[in-house]
Amino acid sequence: MNQKEILEKVQAIAQDPFPYLKGKKTEGRKILGSPLADVPSELIHAAGFLPVTILGTNRPIVKASAHLPDNACSLSRSNLELVLNYQREDFDGFVFPQVCDTTQHLSDIWKMTIPSEFFASFLIPRQVDRTSARHWFYAETQRLKSQLEGFSGSPITDDALRKSIRLYNEARTLLREIYQAKRMSPTLISNRQLFDLIRAFCFMAPEDIIPLLQTLVSDLDAEKSGEEKKRVIRISLSGIVVEPAELFGLLDELKVSVVADDLIVGSRMIDYDVPEHEDLIMALTERHFSKSPFSPIRDVGTRLYDHLLRRVEETKAEGIIYFHIKFCESQDYDLPDMKSVMRERKIPMIVLETEYQTAAKAQTKTRLEAFIESLYGEQIHG
Amino acid sequence: MAEKEPKLTAKEFSKQLTQKYYEGAKHAHEQGKYIAYTTAVSPAELFYAHDVIPIYPENHSVMMITHRMTAELSQSIERKGYTSHLCAYARSDLGFRELQKSPIGGIPDPDFLLACNAQCFTLTKWFEVLSRRYNAPLFVFDTPQFIRDKRAREEIIKYVMEQIYEMIESLETLTGKKFDFDRLREVVEYSRQASILYKTYLDMASYKPSPISIFDALINMAITVYLRGTPEAVQFYQLLVDEVMETKVKKGIGVIPNEKYRLYWENLPIWFKFRDHFKLLASYGAVILTSLYVHAWSYDFDPSDPVRTLAENYASVFSNVELEERAEMALDLFRRYSLNGNLMFLNRSCKAVSFAIHELRDIITEKTGIPALIFESDMGDPRFYSESQIRTRIEAYLETLDQLSFERERGLRE
Ligand code: SF4
Ligand code: SF4
Repeated sequence: MNQKEILEKVQAIAQDPFPYLKGKKTEGRKILGSPLADVPSELIHAAGFLPVTILGTNRPIVKASAHLPDNACSLSRSNLELVLNYQREDFDGFVFPQVCDTTQHLSDIWKMTIPSEFFASFLIPRQVDRTSARHWFYAETQRLKSQLEGFSGSPITDDALRKSIRLYNEARTLLREIYQAKRMSPTLISNRQLFDLIRAFCFMAPEDIIPLLQTLVSDLDAEKSGEEKKRVIRISLSGIVVEPAELFGLLDELKVSVVADDLIVGSRMIDYDVPEHEDLIMALTERHFSKSPFSPIRDVGTRLYDHLLRRVEETKAEGIIYFHIKFCESQDYDLPDMKSVMRERKIPMIVLETEYQTAAKAQTKTRLEAFIESLYGEQIHG
Repeated sequence: MAEKEPKLTAKEFSKQLTQKYYEGAKHAHEQGKYIAYTTAVSPAELFYAHDVIPIYPENHSVMMITHRMTAELSQSIERKGYTSHLCAYARSDLGFRELQKSPIGGIPDPDFLLACNAQCFTLTKWFEVLSRRYNAPLFVFDTPQFIRDKRAREEIIKYVMEQIYEMIESLETLTGKKFDFDRLREVVEYSRQASILYKTYLDMASYKPSPISIFDALINMAITVYLRGTPEAVQFYQLLVDEVMETKVKKGIGVIPNEKYRLYWENLPIWFKFRDHFKLLASYGAVILTSLYVHAWSYDFDPSDPVRTLAENYASVFSNVELEERAEMALDLFRRYSLNGNLMFLNRSCKAVSFAIHELRDIITEKTGIPALIFESDMGDPRFYSESQIRTRIEAYLETLDQLSFERERGLRE
């Protein structure tokens, strides 16, 4: 396959992973779904299952409203809809993390409305600033390991886990290389393409995505040399997840290039590898604590803002587009201070409220255009 | 023979204690004492044992809500970019910081903040905002959902206990003073006694007719929220229990004259409306007796192992257990108090207690056969409260109950 074909294939999976997942199921692989947040995929993979991050749906909400009040965040509502209504039979079980009030209750609702062969709560620490959190993450990961072993009927050997860790590390490394190549020559690959790759990584087995990424990386290298330097606005994204994905298409249309982000389905997913460690559960723990901040998880002081600022500085991003998931309480509390920090630092930032099921409105486009124009203006005058 | 001093009523005593508490807090800094903000469900015993004054912004927010200040306070922060769908406590509090308006002249600034997420996650984020504002350390006391898995529970208790030791260290750093575990044991013993008496008081709702309604419970719960761990809280609940016993129970006096419907209330109250609701219901012979919310402070402490007992009690509060267990806790109240009606308030302010309400209703209705009314509103913001709509729905619900009991009396139903 050439670069174009690979990108098309991966994009198709990113947009609708279920044909791919059905294929895996026919091969006898059980699918374990998890809503977004810090579930150690390596462990699930090593147990012989396919870990899949559940990232909502843009199809109409039909059943979820009877279970979740309308001030539930758009992500949780559309996750519930996806599995309850559309793809229930594609999942064999769930590993369910909790990060906020919504996910805690979603977990209860899920258990009652979506019976499945396997359900494990994965109770990640909601603080990462003290040693106790490490001990807890370690204990909880071991508990998950036993549960997975119970479900599969055989122990997860160190060899298997080490192999899964290597695969995930490799996939992440390749994704980072592609991201880095885009940073160097922003037009090499579109925003949509880059983030579709990361999205596909949420759904695909690492052994399936790695060969594709490898070819892409070598092709990109070849192309990079011929690339001419065009002026494009360098942007940093901020938030949790950018949905619907057409928003990336909008960024492409507006000729800006994403060079940094602090998204969960973004850099936070690919920037951190599992380190070498004899104790593999400890290695997974170490990875968790090396990650960048995540809004609902308590972190030291103002690290959430500091981290973003640093990324912006390092990548020379000229502005920040913040994606606010409708009714995400966590972001609601962060935003006013976030805005004032950026104002103080004179970093242009625009906040867009996003919602599944809602195509980017004309208004979003107009606001983005005005924002981008102002960045060009700053560049010319400043 | 010395004249007996005229005895205070529980109400007078409560007022006195509250005044003293807020006065003390106001002058804490002048007296070299520290102020810690904390959440209603949290190991506040650690503060009392270390002479740090715990302040409950939630409690202050209730006062702002009952004084109907929330809409104005909230608007002041909505202008700053906070949205109107955040918890009304948080909005009232952040608004107070903006406008410096408060029915009690405000609360002092924090030196330290503790947010326990057994209650909710909102508090963590709200306190984060305050922690940045006052540049004061925030300690998130993390209590993972207390799921029924035995191994998980053991590990959770370990994790929570470790955090108590971390918190003790933080307090020592804050004050430069060594923590005294004997003192902690004493404080936990006071908490234990207060909690037992508080529960005895709540359980008086099982008498027929009931001498107290939930509105009495809500008013009298304040002391255990902010003074548990002190001897005064014990005295107060003793006085309260004796008083209700003498003036009501022994005489068979109910809180309403013709008690017919003994209702359960799900969620927090609609604070600025509860007197109206009481009257409306009473006119139908209905009275709300209890809710899991008021029971959130009926703890069962064992002072011989204070760190463990704090961990166990705070991790297992109703808002932090799985839904089935929470339903069982509610069903226990239905049984013990002979409840025959169920008002379920879906509180826009409080995702932590409201989400999953439909599933909770399904379990309770299935087990009791009692129909439930689910209605949506906000506990603190009149802008989201529709008088006529809620009135109509409550009235319609009571008529359904009437119809049901009519049919039962005539043997038309089981
Ligand atoms: S953190 Fe925000 S987006 Fe994520 S589940 Fe919670 S409310 Fe929804
Ligand atoms: S009302 Fe609910 S959301 Fe608000 S502070 Fe209390 S528990 Fe948290």
